[in-house]
Amino acid sequence: MSPVMLIIYISPIILGAYAYSKGDESFKKGLIRGLEQLAIILPRMICALIGAEFLALLIPTEVISAYLGNDAGLVAILIGSLTGLMVPSGPVISFSIAATFANAGASMPAVIAFLTAWSIFSAHRILIYEIPLLGVSFLRVRALSVLILPVLSGLLAMLAINLIA
Amino acid sequence: MIQTLSDQNNTAHTPIPLKRRLQILLRASFGYTFWLFAGFAILMGIICHSLLGPEIFKEAVSNDIDNLLGILPRVVAALTLAGFIWILMPRDKFSKLVGRYKGFSGLVLAEIAGIITPGGPSAAFPFLAIIGKAGADKGIMITYITSWALLGIQRVLVWDLPFMGAEITATRFLVSLPLPIIAGLIAQQLPLKIKLAGESEQK
Repeated sequence: MSPVMLIIYISPIILGAYAYSKGDESFKKGLIRGLEQLAIILPRMICALIGAEFLALLIPTEVISAYLGNDAGLVAILIGSLTGLMVPSGPVISFSIAATFANAGASMPAVIAFLTAWSIFSAHRILIYEIPLLGVSFLRVRALSVLILPVLSGLLAMLAINLIA
Repeated sequence: MIQTLSDQNNTAHTPIPLKRRLQILLRASFGYTFWLFAGFAILMGIICHSLLGPEIFKEAVSNDIDNLLGILPRVVAALTLAGFIWILMPRDKFSKLVGRYKGFSGLVLAEIAGIITPGGPSAAFPFLAIIGKAGADKGIMITYITSWALLGIQRVLVWDLPFMGAEITATRFLVSLPLPIIAGLIAQQLPLKIKLAGESEQK
């Protein structure tokens, strides 16, 4: 087991023991809070993961990668960003897609724009975690604030590559 | 928004009967967004089965089950942890701490916090809710979660590096460094208020 996983499993036990030792209602309330959030998230998570796995199989990765080549420049960055928006799944699937793009000759700025768009907009994360835990008004502010980041990351990557070359 | 028991407990001190508690919990678990998700999963399954054939369909389902079994213990542990932090956190002190960092230095700190936050979304989003509840400014919230999503060191090491190789990973990390702060600055300029889930106050 990795050290990070160990921390994830041990810290609730330590905090739980501390809450219990306080002798008030902290332990019970903490457990209830955790259970509630689990009850909200779990049913949605199961459906979202299953649906996302199917959808990822349906995305025509090979067709898209033909438009992400070095000569496509800004267009490749835009298509990479849009594709990143459409991938609603966890890291296993999206990084496999990104690696497929890179191996099929996609330009580095396009791959980076894809990864940025997926990282900040992955729909499953928004639906499972963001809306239940933070609310729609937070999502609205966040979406407007990060809208330009995928294209910006692609342009910055293009700039960086040109500077080095 | 989904109303939860602990939010209600904060406002009303009268004990809620067990039956009512279960009702609230069930409504939260199987609200309308759940049915949207279920419909999405079934629809995608049907399309997959008919377009790609039963073999690939079966493989996808068994992948799903493996994924779920892998993720489930982590989610349970992370949410239990978040539950205890939520209850134990000395909210006054924490609010003062979070409130002290305004402006640019706050955004820089939020970016660093996002980079070093371990774990997946089941850790980062409950933590974001906690700092939001403690009164963090919206720019800080946006910078934190954007930084975690783009630059989280665990994700970079576990996913970016093995899948994409050192060159793409390093380039992506470097060009992404200014992005969370840009997003936070935009958020601070937006004339929109955030009403956190299960909260009545606005900021």
